[in-house]
Amino acid sequence: MDLALQTPRKRKLSQLLRSPWLRPLNDPDAWEQILGALNPMWSTRDFPARVLAIVEQTADSRTFVLQPGRRWPGHRAGQHVVVEVEIDGRRLHRSFSLSAAPRADRTLEITVKRQPGARVSGWLHDSLRVGDMLRLSAPGGGFLTPDGDDPVLLLSAGSGITPVMAMLEEMHRRGNRSAAWCSCMPVARRRISSLRAPAAARPRLAELQLQVHHSAQAGRFDAGALARWLPHYRDFQARTCGPRALVAEVEQLYRDAGVPQRIRSESYLGRVLPPSAANDLAHRVHCSKTEQVFTASARSSLLGEAEAAGLRPAHGCRIGICKTCQCSKRSGTVENLRTGEISSEPDELIQLCISVARSPLELVL
Amino acid sequence: MRAEVAADLGERDATHIRTVVRDARVSAAAGRGLLMFGFDPISFVLGVAALAHAKILENMEVGHNVLHGQYDWMGDPALNSQNYEWDIVCHSSHWRRTHNFEHHSHTNILGLDDDYGYGLLRMTASQKWTWRTPLQPLWYAILAIYFQWGVAIQDLKLGRWFKGRMPKGELAQRAAPFLNKARSQLFKDYVLFPLLAFWNIPRVLLGNALANLIRSLWTNAIIFCGHFTADAQVFTKAEVQGETRGGWYLRQIQGSSNLEGGRWFHKMTGHLSHQIEHHLFPDIPALRYPEMAPRVREICARHGVHYNSAGFWSQYLSVLWRIVKYAFPVDRRARLSAPQTA
Repeated sequence: MDLALQTPRKRKLSQLLRSPWLRPLNDPDAWEQILGALNPMWSTRDFPARVLAIVEQTADSRTFVLQPGRRWPGHRAGQHVVVEVEIDGRRLHRSFSLSAAPRADRTLEITVKRQPGARVSGWLHDSLRVGDMLRLSAPGGGFLTPDGDDPVLLLSAGSGITPVMAMLEEMHRRGNRSAAWCSCMPVARRRISSLRAPAAARPRLAELQLQVHHSAQAGRFDAGALARWLPHYRDFQARTCGPRALVAEVEQLYRDAGVPQRIRSESYLGRVLPPSAANDLAHRVHCSKTEQVFTASARSSLLGEAEAAGLRPAHGCRIGICKTCQCSKRSGTVENLRTGEISSEPDELIQLCISVARSPLELVL
Repeated sequence: MRAEVAADLGERDATHIRTVVRDARVSAAAGRGLLMFGFDPISFVLGVAALAHAKILENMEVGHNVLHGQYDWMGDPALNSQNYEWDIVCHSSHWRRTHNFEHHSHTNILGLDDDYGYGLLRMTASQKWTWRTPLQPLWYAILAIYFQWGVAIQDLKLGRWFKGRMPKGELAQRAAPFLNKARSQLFKDYVLFPLLAFWNIPRVLLGNALANLIRSLWTNAIIFCGHFTADAQVFTKAEVQGETRGGWYLRQIQGSSNLEGGRWFHKMTGHLSHQIEHHLFPDIPALRYPEMAPRVREICARHGVHYNSAGFWSQYLSVLWRIVKYAFPVDRRARLSAPQTA
C-alpha cells in the first residue's frame, strides 16, 4: 500500500516492520516466495492475474481477459498496465492499454497485436493459455475519459484503438453524452455493434457517429480528413491515440483552433529497426537520469564516448568482466563487441565499456 | 563457447538459482528453528549444520554468483548484481570492486591482485620476506577463522592507511558501508535471534557463532584452493604489459585450479571448484561450468597448457604446504629466474 495514504501511526508501524534491523525476518523477497508458493494469486508487491479467456479479434490481434487478485486497486478507462512475463527464464516487461472499462466482476482486458519479430507479443499469442498467470503493475497513466457534458471525439489509429475502446465502453455505461469515434481499424464496427446490442433496451450513446477510415483505399488519415468529416471538431473533447505523426498533426489542429486544452493524446513510436550495414554512423545518446545528451560513434565504446563528452559513468575493468559499468538501456540498439550480441529490445542491461551504439539510444545513466 | 552457452541460457538456469535460493531459505529457517526451540544436543548439532549449510549456499552459490551478474539476464531485481546484498559482513559494493574488478581482471598479478595473499601471507618466492612471515601459519589460521571479516575490510586498504598514505577522511568514507553492514550482521546473529529465543539465548548465540565459523573455514579453504595450489602460477606487472586477449585467458587458466567432487560438493563451493572455468567466464551461470569443463580441458591439452585439477584434500594440503614453505626466507632473486610455480 502507498505509504503516503496511511495514518501516521500505521506509517510508523509499517516503517518499523520494514526496518533493516529485522532482516531476514522481513525480507520482502522471501515473503514473496512464501506467498507465491501458498497461492499464485497472492503477492504484496505486484498484481498476479489469471488468464480467463482469449478472444481472437483479427488475424493478428487477440484480447486476453484477465482476473486479478483481491488487491487490484481498480482502474479507469484509458489507463495502461505494465505486464511482466517470463520467457525462458527472462523477465520481460511491456506496457499495454487496458482495452475494457472497469467491470463489476473485476475482470480486465488487454488486446495485443502481434508485432513481427517481437518477443513478447509473439509469446503472448503463441504460448499463453487460459489458466496461465501474468503479473501486472498497478494501472497508470492520465489518458482518461473527459469529465463534463461536452461531446467527445475519439480518434484512434492502429493499435491506438485499445484505450479508446475502454473509453467508449465507459461512456456507453454512463450513457449521457454524444460521441464521435473515428478509427482506422475495421474491427471498430464490430465493437460498436457488440455495445449496441444490449442498448436496444437502454438507448445510450445515441448520438454516436462512427467513421472507419480505410487507409488502403482513402490514403493516410490526417488532420485534413478529420476536419472534413467533423467540421465542428473544436466543440468536441478529443482523445487521440495512435502513431506520433498523426497525434502531432491533430494536436496542431486543436492548437490552431485556439482550444489546445480540449485535446489529450497518447502516442507510440514504431519498433526500432535492426542495425543496417552503415555502422560508422554517429548516434545520439540520451541519458535519462542526468538529462544529458552525447553523440556516440560506432568506432568506440559507449563508455569511452560518454567520458569524451565529459560524463563520468561508474566503471571498473573496461574489458567487460566486472560489470561495474552495467546500465539499463531504455530503447535503441547496441552491439556487444566482446560477444557480438545485438541488444535491441527495450529495458535490457548493457555493459558500457564493451558496447557500441547502433541506433539512437536512451540509457538510464 | 561462451556465445553457445549464453544463447542456451533459459528456464533451467532460472529454476536452478531459484531452487538454491529457496533451499538456502528453508535450511536457514530450519537451522534457526532447531537452535531456538530445541533443548537437546542432537537438535543443536543439526541446527548448526543447517544454518551453516544455508549460509554457505547463500554466500557461494547465490551471493557470489549473483554478484558476478551471472543471472542479470533474467531481469529479476532480486537476483540482479547491482541490487543483491548477501548474508556476510562484506558489503556487496566493496566485493564488486575487490573481487569482480581487482581480482578477476588482474588475477594473480603481484601488486594488483590483492587476493594474492591478502597482503598478509607470502605465497610465492617473489613476495617480500619480513619479520612477520615466519608466523604466517598462525596468521593463516586467524584469517581462516575470521575469513568473512578479512574479506570485508579488504577494500578499506588498511595497509595504505597504516603507512600514512591514505587520509583519514578517505578511510572513514570507505569504512561507512562496511560498518553499517557489520552492525546489522552482528545484530542479526548475536542480538535479534538470541533474544527471540528467550530461555535459549546462550544456545542460539553459540550455535550462530559456530555456524559462522564453519562457513568461514569452508569458504576460506575453497577460495585458497582456487589460486594457491602447488601449480598455480603468479605473474608480475612487467609480464602482463601489453597482454593480448589470448594472454588474458591463458593467465586465467594458469593462475587457477579446480577441485574434483560430486554434484553436491560443487554446489556447496558455489562451483568455485571450477575456478578455471569461472575465471574464463565469470558471468556465465555457475551450474554450466561442469558442462564446459571437458571442452576447456580438451583445448588446454591441445595447446599443451597445464589444466590444474585434483581432489579437495590433495589441493588443500598443497596450499597449506605452500603457506609453511614460504614462511622461510627462500632467496628472492634465485627464484625470480626460475618458473614461477611453487
